[in-house]
Amino acid sequence: MITELVQQIINGLTVGGIYSLIALGLTVVFGILGIAHFAHGSFAMFGGYLIFFLLQRFGLSFFTAMVLAMPVGAVLGMLIERLAYRPVREAPPINAFIIALGLTMIIEGANLLMFGADQIVIPTSYHKVINIGTLSIVELRLYVIITIVLLILAMTVFISRTNTGMAVRAVAQNRSAAILMGINVDRIPMVIFAISSALGIAAGAFVGALFAISPGVGEGLVIKGFAVLILGGLGSIPGAIIGGVVLGVSETLAAGFISSSYKDVIAFLVMICVMLVRPEGLLGRRQ
Amino acid sequence: MNTKTLRVSAMLIAVVVVSLALPKMVSVPYYLHLTVLALIWVVVSEGQNLIQGYTGYVSIAQGGFMGIGAYACALLSVKLGLSAWLTLPLAPIITGCFAVLVGYPSLRLRGHYFAIVTLAFNMVIYIVLFNFKSLTGGEAGVTDIPRPGHNGLPGYYYLVLASAITAIAFCWLLVHSRVGRNLIAIRQNEALADSIGIVTWRYKLFAFVASASLAGFGGGLYAHFMRFINPDTFTVAQSLNAILAVILGGSGTLTGPVVGSFVVVFLPEYLRIADFFRLIVYGFILVLATIFMPQGIVSVTENVVRRLTKAR
Repeated sequence: MITELVQQIINGLTVGGIYSLIALGLTVVFGILGIAHFAHGSFAMFGGYLIFFLLQRFGLSFFTAMVLAMPVGAVLGMLIERLAYRPVREAPPINAFIIALGLTMIIEGANLLMFGADQIVIPTSYHKVINIGTLSIVELRLYVIITIVLLILAMTVFISRTNTGMAVRAVAQNRSAAILMGINVDRIPMVIFAISSALGIAAGAFVGALFAISPGVGEGLVIKGFAVLILGGLGSIPGAIIGGVVLGVSETLAAGFISSSYKDVIAFLVMICVMLVRPEGLLGRRQ
Repeated sequence: MNTKTLRVSAMLIAVVVVSLALPKMVSVPYYLHLTVLALIWVVVSEGQNLIQGYTGYVSIAQGGFMGIGAYACALLSVKLGLSAWLTLPLAPIITGCFAVLVGYPSLRLRGHYFAIVTLAFNMVIYIVLFNFKSLTGGEAGVTDIPRPGHNGLPGYYYLVLASAITAIAFCWLLVHSRVGRNLIAIRQNEALADSIGIVTWRYKLFAFVASASLAGFGGGLYAHFMRFINPDTFTVAQSLNAILAVILGGSGTLTGPVVGSFVVVFLPEYLRIADFFRLIVYGFILVLATIFMPQGIVSVTENVVRRLTKAR
């Protein structure tokens, strides 16, 4: 019983890590720019497809392909910000949300057009099972968790230690003061979208390698991402990380011990309950 | 009578005449089919407009509430053998009861939080419809739902037309009442509305339940019209469509959702010619429309007409 519980928690950590990664991409965009970037899930799926393509076409290894695909994602993310979101920056927030819906359709359509409607699984060579006592973990899952931790660390260092990161934080705190300090505030949203999209690509790669990618998966993923955001508190980076793990683990436990077809219901009920007790999320600031 | 009221009443008469004569004018039944769908959407998006356009709370659960209304009608008529004349009035009441349960906790939140929690409720409704197989039939859905009026298409068209007009009239009365003004006050400044003695949560809950009831009613009309339903029709995508209908037409106006409903039903059909590119083209139209005409089609048309008449 206890072994099974611990085993399920370990499985939940992988799923939770992916949710955290998606939620991180959403939370930087939401927290600093106030945009609910609904197209993030479809964009992540694009990343999964792209890596699958690189693997098939050029025979690269999984992690090499990921390292190559992330900058591509960053550039596309900047384009999305510049061409779609910037024109509605001064408009009410709902307009940006509608733009996000339109972008979702465009990206889903483009995925379908470029990669077809078949379900794909990204092949990797990490199938060895590592046993620790009575517990076991597949090599790939371990690598995924490690990579996610590294990515989160890299992002934290970027935000807290570099000049650009400082400028991002300044704009988040006070936009007009940031302008007065000589920060090029038009550049910041592009930087944020670059980071967010690169993380999204990585998340898509992991989903593709551990589970499967097919049309429609992106929507489910982005909704989970927003659930994590709410759970952890909108705009909070530690909240996104912890919220992702909480959602992933509770979902896996629910699937293992209660019912796998209702696991999403249970995940959402957890989120709704948290909302009712702490509307600002687990780690959000009280208004 | 000044020229403006004259013009408006002339337009109204034209709309009434055209909509009454439509089944005789349209030779392709498919277009009548689409028109019925668009009119059902009018009911749903007028409801969405109450909460989104007038109260300023963007709910993403309209598709789920449509599902509740549709399944209520389908199950009552198939399993209990009730007549559609009984199930259709029951659909909004049943949906309204669920909406109280959803709205009471969700409305404690604002802005994006509210939107995302309602979206989660939509997911929950979908998952339950999908998995509660003994009641809903799961993915296979419910078949052989009776259509009132000898299953004829023109007959049903008039029923749906009357329903849509009733929904618009209901919203018109609501918006022009004290309740409607309070809702607009909440949209413009909720804290101020609260401080001058408007019990905001009560009005918000009322708007939410009214909007969900209209969605449930629309769902019921849909079930009796299509005669087959399954959970896939009532996903988040459908809720997003309702939001689009309101935004594209013009939110916070009564004519906007009507125009928007016809756009969201007919546009994807016409784009079917472009088949593979349909989703992409639809997406681009959406993005461009939001950037270049955020006030919606109705107000853009009004501006153009005003400019033309002034130039003369």
